[in-house]
Amino acid sequence: MPDGSYERPQQRQFNPYSENGGTILAIAGADFSVIAGDTRQSEGYSIQTRYAPKVFRLTERAVLAVNGFAADGNMFVKKVKQRLEWYRHAHAKDMPLRAIARLIQTMLYAQRFFPYYVYNILGGIEEDGTGAVYSFDPVGSYEREACRAAGAAQSLVQPFLDNQIYFKNQTPAPGTNHPTHLPLPDVLSIVIDSFTSATERHIEVGDGLEIYVVLAKGRSTQELASIGGLQELSTRAEGDRMFVIRRDLKKD
Amino acid sequence: MFLTRSEYDRGVNTFSPEGRLFQVEYAIEAIKLGSTTVGVKTPEGVVLAVEKRVQSPLLESSSIEKIMEIDGHLGCAMSGLTADARTMIDHARVTSQNHAFTYDERIKVESVTQAVCDLALRFGESVHDEDAMMSRPFGVALLIAGIDELGPQLFHTDPSGTFVRYEAKAIGSGSEAAQTELQDKWHSQMTLREAQTLTLRVLKQVMEEKLDHHNVQLAQVTPQAGFEILDEVRLKEIVDAM
Amino acid sequence: MNSFADRFSTTGTAVEQRRIKEYVADEEDVSDSMWGSEAGFGTIAHGTPNFMVPTVPDPSAFLRLHTDDHADPSCRIKIKHGTTTLAFRYQGGVIVAVDSRATAGSYVASGTVKKVIEINPYLLGTMAGGAADCQYWETYLGMQCRLHELRNRERISVAAASKYLSNLVYNYKGMGLSMGTMICGWDKTGPAIFYVDSDGTRLKGDLFSVGSGSTFAYGVLDQGYRWDLTDEEAQELGRRGIYAAGHRDAFSGNTINLYHVQQQGWKFIGNYDVSEMHYNGPTGTAGYGYGVRVEGRSSANPPA
Repeated sequence: MPDGSYERPQQRQFNPYSENGGTILAIAGADFSVIAGDTRQSEGYSIQTRYAPKVFRLTERAVLAVNGFAADGNMFVKKVKQRLEWYRHAHAKDMPLRAIARLIQTMLYAQRFFPYYVYNILGGIEEDGTGAVYSFDPVGSYEREACRAAGAAQSLVQPFLDNQIYFKNQTPAPGTNHPTHLPLPDVLSIVIDSFTSATERHIEVGDGLEIYVVLAKGRSTQELASIGGLQELSTRAEGDRMFVIRRDLKKD
Repeated sequence: MFLTRSEYDRGVNTFSPEGRLFQVEYAIEAIKLGSTTVGVKTPEGVVLAVEKRVQSPLLESSSIEKIMEIDGHLGCAMSGLTADARTMIDHARVTSQNHAFTYDERIKVESVTQAVCDLALRFGESVHDEDAMMSRPFGVALLIAGIDELGPQLFHTDPSGTFVRYEAKAIGSGSEAAQTELQDKWHSQMTLREAQTLTLRVLKQVMEEKLDHHNVQLAQVTPQAGFEILDEVRLKEIVDAM
Repeated sequence: MNSFADRFSTTGTAVEQRRIKEYVADEEDVSDSMWGSEAGFGTIAHGTPNFMVPTVPDPSAFLRLHTDDHADPSCRIKIKHGTTTLAFRYQGGVIVAVDSRATAGSYVASGTVKKVIEINPYLLGTMAGGAADCQYWETYLGMQCRLHELRNRERISVAAASKYLSNLVYNYKGMGLSMGTMICGWDKTGPAIFYVDSDGTRLKGDLFSVGSGSTFAYGVLDQGYRWDLTDEEAQELGRRGIYAAGHRDAFSGNTINLYHVQQQGWKFIGNYDVSEMHYNGPTGTAGYGYGVRVEGRSSANPPA
């Protein structure tokens, strides 16, 4: 209306959330864990940046991938890191992976009535040296799994992982069994294929790929030798080792 | 000396010119009135033993509780004003349960000891909105025994909130003689059984009454069974074998 | 003078700031939750957990707007939901059986959810409704039960444990918690089941089923339930109940988790694939599906 008033009653809502696309996934092996995410950040149909990391190193043996609303995600990672630091001061050790998993549950649930819009996947090495993946919903329900995809292309990637990692709907050849754990090179191929395929079919996935690889203490790094774009993140060669592989994904 | 004492030992939060807190020191003295309590650490676990003073033949000795469980892997023995220990032990229990809830792991022995000691100096006047805690220092010392990823451990805490790790420690009225005896007899490769016998021998030396399975209590923390207070049958067997 | 007036005003910027401080202070509390013996316990440092609430006039409407996927399937935050659970009491203890599917809208978010929460070695809780609500509060209940045990030198009764949980969630009534659980165990009174939900309901009973598939499970249970079932019969009844729900309810399925509570505590019996039960059954000899009963009996079902 000319006087600045409205013709009809107006309704307004507090909407502090946005969705920034992208996809993350993690796969646990017998003595390693792989955690990956693309680096595109978008809002609606426009790309805000082609490099916004979604996967973060927490400790020497734990990596957290965060997907959903980027502002919430970044704040959440910051707070998790702060809690890990306090724990180190209070208990004179790095927080074990399963402890981080429980901590994340309590931190997410503390926001039960004002949730962080984030889907978390935690990967790394447990105290017993096995590879592990934990997945979370936005308010903190969690479980340990062998593999998990989350984010925009979850519904594209998860069925592929179910088939390739859990051998769902595959019948083993007579007299053979499906392996319980896949070797590292196979897992890396599956991760890369998941992301190149998701990039092809999902508009919110692409630009760059970051794959974190955590190897249990004493495990050979031989299988990573021929991988391009590899960078070591671990500070000590004796403990668990951590690497990141950076690749390009299609940018259209 | 007497004069300075009488002037500076009134307030719990007043230092003497020599830099001493007399009320805290007096609280430490209170422990020397308590019954003797002994703890011994071995590679196989930790043993705690206390003397139960049965002042009257009409007293039910089983109602004297001087060793308490903090959690499955943690136990605690006390000497001094044992009523004060209830507050501390409840705090230790809550802390260890909160830790298990938040981190899905057992709390370390040192961390729970630190938690108990955090309470020790919360006496005196409260600061603005903070809850007033206590009017005086605790008059009790604890021996906290437990097992974590660093192995069996034994900690001693006193009313000043100081805590120290020991291989073997005696507190209470007979502590001086008992500690000397422990220093003589303790060795690093002791078995749990040897430790049980040692703690009872030490108690026997400092006790006025004749030691039997009614006037002592024995507990242990082992990797296999965690914390357990030995029942009368097992205790009697060890006493008889001694 | 002005500051004094501000302190008691109910409008204006001062009150806004105060409100923000009130809410934010809870979370940013730097005193005990960071240092000392409460270091890092965060929201539970002061006993019961405290929660961050958005600074809007109606926080539960805000939560409903963004998370309730029944009212609005396009809402952003899809909280995982659990689905069919059952428990019944009989002469040999308590049988607890659940499915393992979690759905976010119509997407199967997980097929491997543990909907039986092992509160402690003699208490089980089941999960229906919000997965996080059940997981979190039943873990919290486990901690309180342990403290009860240490303080009273005696195990908590199923009645007391379930009442503790019921009182706990009743404090949050109307705020959007979603939890339908059965607390199962064995205490001095024998086997016991209590149904507790986030509305504050608490019922003692012999037989319950909770979740979207509960109607199907009830059909099987009501038909086969007797007090004097043998252990094998009871376990089979539990399995069949969840199978029926998995078969007829789209929000239930994947696998069955079966537990048996006896005097000495609970025991995990097994994990059974619902499809496998349909075709081959638990022993691999006879499926629960009626295919075998119609095969070759009519022209529509010719012999294989």
